[in-house]
Amino acid sequence: MAILEGRNLRKTYRLSKKNKVEALKGVEISIESGEMVAIMGPSGSGKSTLMHLLGLLHSPDPNHGPAPELYLGDQNVASLSDDERTKIRARRMGFVFQDFNLVPTLTAIENVLLACDYAGIKGKAAREAALEALGLVGLADRAGHKPAELSGGEQQRVAIARALVNKPEIILADEPTGNLDSDRSAEVLALLRQFNREHGQTIVLVTHDAEVGEACDRVIRMRDGRIRDNGLRAAAPAMAVDAVAVPA
Amino acid sequence: MRLLRDLGRRKLRSTLTISGIAIGIMALVVFGSMANKMNALIDGGSKYYADKDVVSIGNMYAGTIQPLSLTDVDKIKAVDGVAAAAPSIEMMLDDSTATTMGTPEMITGTVPGSDKGLETFATTIAQGRKLQFGDTGNVVVLGSDLARKLNASAGGKVTIRGQEFEVIGILDPTLTAPDKDAEMPLATAQQLFVSTLPPVVRANVKASDLATSITVYPAKGVDPAVLKLRLEAALGTSYSVMDGADFDAMLGSISVIFSLVLTGVAGLSLLVGGLSTINTMAMAVAERTREIGIKRAIGASRWRIRREVVVESAAIGLIAGLIGLAIGAAMTTMFNDMGRASGNVLFDLTFGTAATALLFATGLGALAGFVPAWGASRLDPVTALRYE
Ligand SMILES: Nc1ncnc2c1ncn2[C@@H]1O[C@H](COP(=O)(O)OP(=O)(O)OP(=O)(O)O)[C@@H](O)[C@H]1O
Ligand SMILES: [Mg+2]
Repeated sequence: MAILEGRNLRKTYRLSKKNKVEALKGVEISIESGEMVAIMGPSGSGKSTLMHLLGLLHSPDPNHGPAPELYLGDQNVASLSDDERTKIRARRMGFVFQDFNLVPTLTAIENVLLACDYAGIKGKAAREAALEALGLVGLADRAGHKPAELSGGEQQRVAIARALVNKPEIILADEPTGNLDSDRSAEVLALLRQFNREHGQTIVLVTHDAEVGEACDRVIRMRDGRIRDNGLRAAAPAMAVDAVAVPA
Repeated sequence: MRLLRDLGRRKLRSTLTISGIAIGIMALVVFGSMANKMNALIDGGSKYYADKDVVSIGNMYAGTIQPLSLTDVDKIKAVDGVAAAAPSIEMMLDDSTATTMGTPEMITGTVPGSDKGLETFATTIAQGRKLQFGDTGNVVVLGSDLARKLNASAGGKVTIRGQEFEVIGILDPTLTAPDKDAEMPLATAQQLFVSTLPPVVRANVKASDLATSITVYPAKGVDPAVLKLRLEAALGTSYSVMDGADFDAMLGSISVIFSLVLTGVAGLSLLVGGLSTINTMAMAVAERTREIGIKRAIGASRWRIRREVVVESAAIGLIAGLIGLAIGAAMTTMFNDMGRASGNVLFDLTFGTAATALLFATGLGALAGFVPAWGASRLDPVTALRYE
């Protein structure tokens, strides 16, 4: 069953009257529940833009071409209000970012508690959930540390704990290993893989790293604002070029 | 807690903003306390004069008073609607030219009972007893401020205008004129009064016939304002008759000036404190753009972000308010202590004034927070996340 299904997803950034960037030119995408999917493609191909739409951070453009559709489960979320989208983000989604994005003034557990708070988990239940999530990423003993006192890999694991704590239907990760060396990168990836395997956690991640892509169930390839390969059939050898055609 | 930490992050800026508001609140507290005292004085006077007329020649407050004769009392009693007429001597406690704020220290010579029980301005006794009909000689009942200044207690002795007096009683504080009064038998006050007159005048008057004012109590159902007209008609133009409305007109303006000063101070601190709080919070929001982006992305509603900023801003106001109140309270206490020896207790910091100051500071902070809070809540999470 598809947990996220999008059709006619377009996004144009208007920089000025004349200057506009068509970041997404009509994307059709389907993510199955329990899948771990990688999105790959050259820089500027629209991967992040697509993640913003899937994560309900932005809405798809409504007014050119056929109407956009974006189904989360069986609800069309393509044109919800900001408040409604925020509520879904808080309760049903988890986010992991390339540069960790922890609140610098808060300790690890406070960062995780923030997500509990927004998801409506309060008090003792929140504390327990936060400690459990930190335990799952192997950082129970770092609960009281501030981000600055943690290594990059540890910070990203805190961020994963924060993304997990509300037991989201889907975790969206935009280059979660982009700022980590290969060992830390492997750790983080293994962690995500483990949640996917053991808890059936649906994960969509963006990566430039072919190894990361290989570790996923499926690789969706983008180019120039479109999906070139949804990974459902065996990848044609020519497509593999995309994965390596990455500027340093 | 988290909030205090956030404030602590920007120590210098927060400190400056807090100082700005604190100074405003301090001024508010000091002026407010002064206004309280003034208003209590004026209120007391206003209540005292509300139900009576006071006859004098010249104006006591303008220092142009001339003596009345006790025969005037009989003239007044003959006027229709007069229930009682009580003569009194009112004079400065001493001739020192030291200016006092508030009411001056006065000697009041009275004939106890001459009001026929109609005086509604009740004083209560703290020590000893009140003045009674039949008291003679150098006996005095002191108001609370004056007693403290003269370091007097009931049964003790004090010196007034070079003469020794026995203190027979001390009044409870009234917060108004009687606190600085030395009340004595009329005959005693008449002697003191005569001794202050220029020798030429003194030779032509009889001490026991003198009064400086006559308090007229209207009969039941008679309007003091109406009675005033009758008294003026009966006594002629050389006499002046003051009723409650006259008193209010005379001193109400002082009240208005105080209110204006207070409003001015409040307005200024509103402006200065408010603007600097807006600035502080706007910068705090700008600094935290990325953090706001994170919070929005992981599910903080716009309302939550707004609340966060407003609460922090209100906390700045509250902290500043507490500091301002503390300094203001310390100052009024200090000034009062300094003034107490000379009977100049000028400040009355009431619970209401303190609460108003705190509420004002907190409200100001919250209000100032709305502007940046609005901006913060309108940030696009994706753009904010990318902000460096
Ligand atoms: N806020 C924006 N305003 C204007 N143009 C934008 C904005 N965000 C993205 N774009 C443009 O949209 C296109 C797609 O950008 P996007 O960030 O989705 O690419 P990407 O595939 O994530 O790239 P990368 O691999 O470098 O992260 C790019 O041409 C980019 O310049
Ligand atoms: Mg990107």
